[in-house]
Amino acid sequence: MTIDSAHQGAVEVSDLNHVYGANGQTRKVLDGISLKVESGKFVSIVGPSGCGKSSLLMMLAGLTRPTSGAIRASGKPVDKPDPQRIGVVFQDASLYPWLSARDNVEFPLSLRGVDKAVRRDKAMDALALVGLEAFAENFPHELSGGMKQRVSIARGLVQDPPILLMDEPFAALDEQTRISMGDELLRIWDKTRKTVIFVTHGLSEAIYLSDEVLVMSGRPGRLLDRVEIDLPRPRNLEMMSTPRFAELRELLWQQIKS
Amino acid sequence: MSPKAVTIVARLAIVLAVFGAWELAPRIDLVDIRLLPPLSEVLATLAQLLSTAKFWSHLGVTLGETLVAFLIAVPLGAVLGILIAESRFASEVFKPLVFFVFSIPKSIFLPIFILLFGITFTQKIAFGVFSTIFIVMMTAFAAIDSVREDHLRVARSYGATMFQTVMRVYLPSMTPVLLEAIRLAMIFNFTGILLAEMYASREGLGNLIGAWGQGYQLKELLAAILLVSAMSILFNEFIRYYEIKCEHWRS
Repeated sequence: MTIDSAHQGAVEVSDLNHVYGANGQTRKVLDGISLKVESGKFVSIVGPSGCGKSSLLMMLAGLTRPTSGAIRASGKPVDKPDPQRIGVVFQDASLYPWLSARDNVEFPLSLRGVDKAVRRDKAMDALALVGLEAFAENFPHELSGGMKQRVSIARGLVQDPPILLMDEPFAALDEQTRISMGDELLRIWDKTRKTVIFVTHGLSEAIYLSDEVLVMSGRPGRLLDRVEIDLPRPRNLEMMSTPRFAELRELLWQQIKS
Repeated sequence: MSPKAVTIVARLAIVLAVFGAWELAPRIDLVDIRLLPPLSEVLATLAQLLSTAKFWSHLGVTLGETLVAFLIAVPLGAVLGILIAESRFASEVFKPLVFFVFSIPKSIFLPIFILLFGITFTQKIAFGVFSTIFIVMMTAFAAIDSVREDHLRVARSYGATMFQTVMRVYLPSMTPVLLEAIRLAMIFNFTGILLAEMYASREGLGNLIGAWGQGYQLKELLAAILLVSAMSILFNEFIRYYEIKCEHWRS
């Protein structure tokens, strides 16, 4: 398998280290992380809480500077947020309560001074993609948790970045909504073929969604393994009760436990 | 009737009962009519006062002082409060001090303001600002706390500049709390100005209220109380209308 690092949407991390210092004490958060994600792949990162998976994602997003190491996305180094290259969806939908769903989705475009009509069209397209065009004028407090997170995904996609980073986006949702949001995300991914890097602590969720699962260990965060998910696509809920699914889940569980 | 309608009717009934009792009690000799003139006579006095240029000039003095003190205290208090809350060091040093000073009744400082500034316009303004600025600063501390970390992070991840972050995240986040600051500021400010006028002044509504009280002019005194009450409630409700509109911004 060859990986063209200049390819649109590919992500490459080499020897990433991060040391967190506070009150005179230092703690190693990430230790020698190297990984490659091919363009258009759906890759999940799992690990125990506090293993630095979210920190890693914030570095991929250009929001945190690593102590050392290099990150390249679409062939270019990542040293600050670049929303046209990398979209981010956070754990809490983090919508602005004073803006309508559409204005929230338009927000990244309006920061760049994109023309109002263009902005509106793109926002409506993105809302249609997540199935919420009927709720464009609603405010966040009028939307359910799942709908808010869909608006947040639309906001991440509105500039059509080749890479979408998702930080435990469904963690705050109830089980049923989480499952249907997973299907929704797969549908969107299938349509857009973005590179998705998805941080979660849900093993089943990671297997169900991904092409590959990266397993991290805690304190300091190291990359333990990379597990290919060979379940066929499109995925469906029945697959969760197949022997192969259970086998993959067991494999991940054993590594995280140790 | 819906529960909401019941509440409104109950509220109206209480207000009407108070006004009704006010009208009737002196007329049936339940209270001394010299101490509590009936509401209708007080209202007639108020109408008569409002038809004289002299009363309007007193009212103008008070409203002018209130407005000037308000326009100084609110922006100054908000900016000072925000600057303090934004710096960790300044927060640790100044926040407790502001709380300490806030807990002291401001009225006891009034004689000092008179010694410093004399019985002047400046003295009224200075005391109005002094009465108000601490509550504004404390509300501004709360305003900064109401800006959510994740909202700032979203702005940063979409490449917002410092100016864009201030205009599009800080300001709207703080709006509900700042409206509250404006509302509370006006209560403290108006109180301070009226008190300063009642204590020592040559003109103004507070001056009239003080004089009418000493002269046993109950009709005029109560008319002024009604007027001040109505103005205060109106201003308060006007701001509260916008506060309620953005209530859901605080989550």
